[in-house]
Amino acid sequence: MSHSIAVDRALVVISFKRRLAYKSHWFFGLAIGGGSMLIAMVMWQNLIGSGTLSGYDWDSMRAYTIIGFVAATMVFGAADWIMADRILDGHIAVDLTKPVDFQRARAAEYVGSMLSTFPTAVMGVVAAWLLFQPPGPATPLAGLLTVVSFLLMFPLAFGLTYLSTLVCFWTKRYLGIMWLREALLSFFSGLMIPLAFMPGWLQAVAWALPFPHFTTTPSAIYLGRVDTAGALGLLAAEAAWAVGLWVLGWLVFRTAVKKVTVHGG
Amino acid sequence: MADTQTPAIAVPVRHVFAIYWRTWFAQIRSIVEYPADLWVMASAGAVWNILQFAFLAVLFANVPDVAGWGYHEMLLLSGLLSVAGGCNALFWDGAWSTGAMVIKGDIDYRITRPAPVIIQVGSSHIGMQSIGEVVFGVAMMVYGWIGAGIGFAAIPIGVLAIACAAVIQSALVTALCAVNFWIKGQASIFAFLMIELQGNAMKMPLGIFPIAVRLVAMFIVPVAFINFVPVAVVTGHMSAWWLAGIPAAVVGSVLLAAGVYRLGLRAYDSAGH
Repeated sequence: MSHSIAVDRALVVISFKRRLAYKSHWFFGLAIGGGSMLIAMVMWQNLIGSGTLSGYDWDSMRAYTIIGFVAATMVFGAADWIMADRILDGHIAVDLTKPVDFQRARAAEYVGSMLSTFPTAVMGVVAAWLLFQPPGPATPLAGLLTVVSFLLMFPLAFGLTYLSTLVCFWTKRYLGIMWLREALLSFFSGLMIPLAFMPGWLQAVAWALPFPHFTTTPSAIYLGRVDTAGALGLLAAEAAWAVGLWVLGWLVFRTAVKKVTVHGG
Repeated sequence: MADTQTPAIAVPVRHVFAIYWRTWFAQIRSIVEYPADLWVMASAGAVWNILQFAFLAVLFANVPDVAGWGYHEMLLLSGLLSVAGGCNALFWDGAWSTGAMVIKGDIDYRITRPAPVIIQVGSSHIGMQSIGEVVFGVAMMVYGWIGAGIGFAAIPIGVLAIACAAVIQSALVTALCAVNFWIKGQASIFAFLMIELQGNAMKMPLGIFPIAVRLVAMFIVPVAFINFVPVAVVTGHMSAWWLAGIPAAVVGSVLLAAGVYRLGLRAYDSAGH
């Protein structure tokens, strides 16, 4: 296999440019993500007021909601449809003939598409910062570790998305699979409601899944709800999930690819 | 290009319904050929609603009310919203394909057939997630209805509210999907934007939002009449007079959808091949 870093880089750049070509994506990403963020802000302001709920006051909830917005923009804005469509329409047969590792190539494309959400995320965060003035990170180190947590979200999001697109080997459509994944991610990541609000057993279920690392982990680190050792532990768990999902994706692909039948061939 | 709605005026209503149901049942036959898709989509709809239920249960374990609305009242809001979206997907999901059909020139085929284009497009697909959405949406409504102590006397209002909600939802989605006649694209981004924001905002009491949002939701894009107004009336948060606004919203949104689609078809210039 002659798959090299140069191939990865080329695929990242192509995918990034392809996404940037559709500038309306920026606007709608911002409108949908920003709109959802504003709605969440209004709800929490109404509920929390000047008090606290499950350890969150209005200050910390503002930061939490903005972190959730960034995570959602990155994960929901990436190009999962391209991967799924190539399986569904049979173009995967062409991909399989190329001298590149299929999973690694899709990962590079996915990372490129995630990077293309950067302008939307930055615009949203700047606007939210000006409108809501959330508190800064608990400590400079917490701020740095939050960034690491966001960086680990790239392989983690790919792992989850890749696994879900592989289901298309058995189905004719991708929409339902995407909805299922996004519904589970929204709820168990804490995007819909912070995990701290949930009963103990439901929190345990959430933490047994990879989803909390999309909102709860970066926000817990940023707000100082965990100390440095706790933050490093969360990052280690996030990294372990990224590796685990990669391996699982590789194993599932080996089985799934046997399903490929193109025009009866 | 062509005023393709004109034949629809000449077509008897009975024929239009017959065409609709024939196409719809053809979709059902096609769906059962692919059981894996059916189950994945139905599960997606069900899981999404179960998680909405869980969201409210978790929220109300921490707060007594949201702007004066209790747990069961909020379940009614979410339930009716799900049922409306589910009915849209079950009976009129094809509207979402408008953009793709415009780009590919698929509207050409519909124009040549002796049936209204909008009926052919609307019935051209069934969103299988609707099964989970409708079943669990109704379950949320029933649970919320009983829990809120609304009683049997208001059931006709509830049934009427569901029917009107389904029509308003489908009509607004159709009108926004028809924007793709002018702004070309595979995805119906305006309709998608509406349902995303509606899904987030309208499961909350409208009173928590600024006045501008309330005015838009009531009178500009009347999504409030889909779930908020009927639920607010049966739970006593709004005067019964507001019920009169629901049929008005139905008529307004249907006329809007038909009008925008008609104008869109006039602007349609095929795919150029």
